[in-house]
Amino acid sequence: MDEKRNGPSLALLLGTPVTEPKGSLFGRLKDIAVATGADAGRIAGLVLKTKKGLELVPATEVRSTPSGALELRSTDAVQPLQGDENFIFLKQDLLDQQIIDVHGRKVVRVNDVDLQWFSRDEKQDLRVREVEVGLRGAVRRLLLGVIPKHALDTFSRKFPARVIPWEFVDMIEVDPARRVKLKIEHERLAQLHPSDIADILEDLAPAEREAILTTLDEEVAAEALEEVEPKLQKALVESLDSETAAGIVEEMDPGAAADLLAELPEERSEAILEEMGAEERQEVEELLEFREDSAAGRMTTAYVQVPVQATVADGIEALRGFEGDPESITELYLVDEKEVLIGVVPLARMILAKPETRLEVLTEPRFISCQVHAHQNFVAELFDKYNLRALPVLDDDGRLVGVVQADHVIAFLRDKI
Amino acid sequence: MLKRWRTRIFLFLAVLGPGFITANVDNDPNGILTYSQAGAHFGYALLWTMIPITLALIIVQEMCARMGVVTGKGLSDLIREEFGLRMTFIVMVLLVIVNFGNVIGEFAGIAGSMQLFHLSKYISVPICGVLVWLLAVRGDYKSVEKIFLTASAFYIAYIITGVLAGPSWRTAIVATVELPPRTLWGQHDYLYMVVSVIGTTIAPWMQFYLQSSIVEKGVSVRKYAATRLDVIVGSIFTDVVAWFIIVACAATLWAHGLGNIAMPADAAEAMKPLAGSYAFLLFAFGLFNASFFAASVLPLSTSYTVCEGLGFESGVDKSFRQAPFFYWLYTLLIAGGAAVVLIPDFPLVQFSIFSQALNGILLPIVIVFMLRLINRKDLMGTHVNSHWFNVAAWLTAIIVTVLSGMLVIQQVGTMWKH
Repeated sequence: MDEKRNGPSLALLLGTPVTEPKGSLFGRLKDIAVATGADAGRIAGLVLKTKKGLELVPATEVRSTPSGALELRSTDAVQPLQGDENFIFLKQDLLDQQIIDVHGRKVVRVNDVDLQWFSRDEKQDLRVREVEVGLRGAVRRLLLGVIPKHALDTFSRKFPARVIPWEFVDMIEVDPARRVKLKIEHERLAQLHPSDIADILEDLAPAEREAILTTLDEEVAAEALEEVEPKLQKALVESLDSETAAGIVEEMDPGAAADLLAELPEERSEAILEEMGAEERQEVEELLEFREDSAAGRMTTAYVQVPVQATVADGIEALRGFEGDPESITELYLVDEKEVLIGVVPLARMILAKPETRLEVLTEPRFISCQVHAHQNFVAELFDKYNLRALPVLDDDGRLVGVVQADHVIAFLRDKI
Repeated sequence: MLKRWRTRIFLFLAVLGPGFITANVDNDPNGILTYSQAGAHFGYALLWTMIPITLALIIVQEMCARMGVVTGKGLSDLIREEFGLRMTFIVMVLLVIVNFGNVIGEFAGIAGSMQLFHLSKYISVPICGVLVWLLAVRGDYKSVEKIFLTASAFYIAYIITGVLAGPSWRTAIVATVELPPRTLWGQHDYLYMVVSVIGTTIAPWMQFYLQSSIVEKGVSVRKYAATRLDVIVGSIFTDVVAWFIIVACAATLWAHGLGNIAMPADAAEAMKPLAGSYAFLLFAFGLFNASFFAASVLPLSTSYTVCEGLGFESGVDKSFRQAPFFYWLYTLLIAGGAAVVLIPDFPLVQFSIFSQALNGILLPIVIVFMLRLINRKDLMGTHVNSHWFNVAAWLTAIIVTVLSGMLVIQQVGTMWKH
């Protein structure tokens, strides 16, 4: 059979009578099972409700007849549904539920699922084409049974469709046991910008957020968590167990991690710190000592410093060895053997110089810095006055202890608006 | 010592939020009319209803609050996920109709109360409509909630009116804890009034509104105790206000044999020569506050609910462009509600009765949905209703449903007579 341009929709197909080759009624279509794992996304079979209970038949073993019914090629391929298969059921798991539209980067609710017959090895097979979230699917569901199916099909096509191609659909499975079984991986979601993932998380209910966050790669989860608004951040981390939380917090920027832990109840933040690696833990603990509204409370300890004698080549080497997010770096800091800040080299100036040039030659003649106890308002004023991108923070002895970055200042200023 | 008291008061105030607001909006012009009539017709004889009403209100609201906190989803979201699109659609259409009726009632309350201050409805209603609209569109959730909380405090006006009316405190308190004499029960009018007073307390929109605002507030399961306190305090305060409205009308209108009021504003007007102009001013101001407050909350609640259930973007934190359907529905409800009130000679009283009847039809459906949802283990985990809570909740549901049904029949009957 040729590929049809307009395939059936799940809503219209559900309840369709399925007949035996001789024409007697065998059962009715109850649901459609989609495979997970290696065959993810392929329709595993049609779930039929028969006298014997729920049974599964591959889509290739049925034909759609002109009358709109489905006909079995033979009853041999029909098997009872065990209930322990790793299937996603379109009606049960998708209709009316929330999904993530990875392409549109938002959370939507499923109104209907568009299917399509296509040829495979001289038989016809069924596939999921797209998910309907707009008016067309809604009209179909609402009027089903009120007007005849074929008339409804034509009528509903007069309404605008809002569809998400099947490959951009990301399902949310809340039940942890089922999640493991189905192995739902949020690969496409993980490729979104952390801010977009954060927006999506903010649109979900707590259980769903937790489900997503724990299945994401820790690094991605950490980046997304940094972008989530503080109140929600706190709620999210509180809902995770300490070990999972520690895994994510470890990957966060130390400054952001400290801000987050400071918001949590003390026993909770200590439990999380306990689970963290020694190095990350120490960094965060040092930051936790400071008042939240001080420069130190806003700073991060992820920055690049080099000895005052270093050359451009040394500087670049130090950048390569930097473990944090290299995009956050805008300048290098020169320190003496006591870690006292001697000079600041903007990244751009370093790149333009020859490798053997000594960094000290490239420093700003007058660099701006502040004390650990400086108030965040003062820090913001410095950023504004001197058009800074980053501000080194010094302790009482002039030693470099951290850096406040422009995006931290913007985040704090936005809170104030 | 002083500091500890200050902390306590502060903690108490910090707790107030969605529950307190929702319960207070329930005392809208329709509610005030019912309570005023109760006091004017039967004096103190209906005060006993206040305790069971408060309990019923707490039971129903607590379930919504709990569902909101545990699932993090609105009631219409849950109905959609568990009962499908068609059922949700029907409930939403009913809700929009019912709430539109209520919104008209609120604007009628604004018109009536401002007329008492000699301000024409052609001025007061459009201005208030615009103000109400701006409140949600221009504010974020935090500031909107603050304004609503402030508005809730102004219900104290009714408490002061009650005191100024100089009631017989002893009689009032005895009537609150004692069932009325059997002779009263034989009277048809009295029975109907009991039904009305109870029926006006729990409205369908309240469940949706409360759950959504708790979700939007992001209350965690751990902080649930505070939210429950909010619900309880709100319900009690609301019914204390209702109690004082009945008392005020009993001490003035009933005591002087003036039993007939058709509009809530009439009660204030009639009170003027009996309790002095302060009581009049306060009663009129209270009515304006209640109407304006409810007119702000209802369209907002409706838009929230419908968008959630049908899958449109919603929330006052979003911009007009991000959530167009949400804002359009909100705008149309306000503009439509205000416009209807401006129609000359519009039969406001009949309409208010009609909208109350619709409330009564929708309420049982909503409560049954709620009870089915809250008992689902996969949804609520350990927070499903306990056995005894279920008994109490079903009992409440059945009683409220029967009473609402009676109210509907009665009011449809009254409509036929008109």
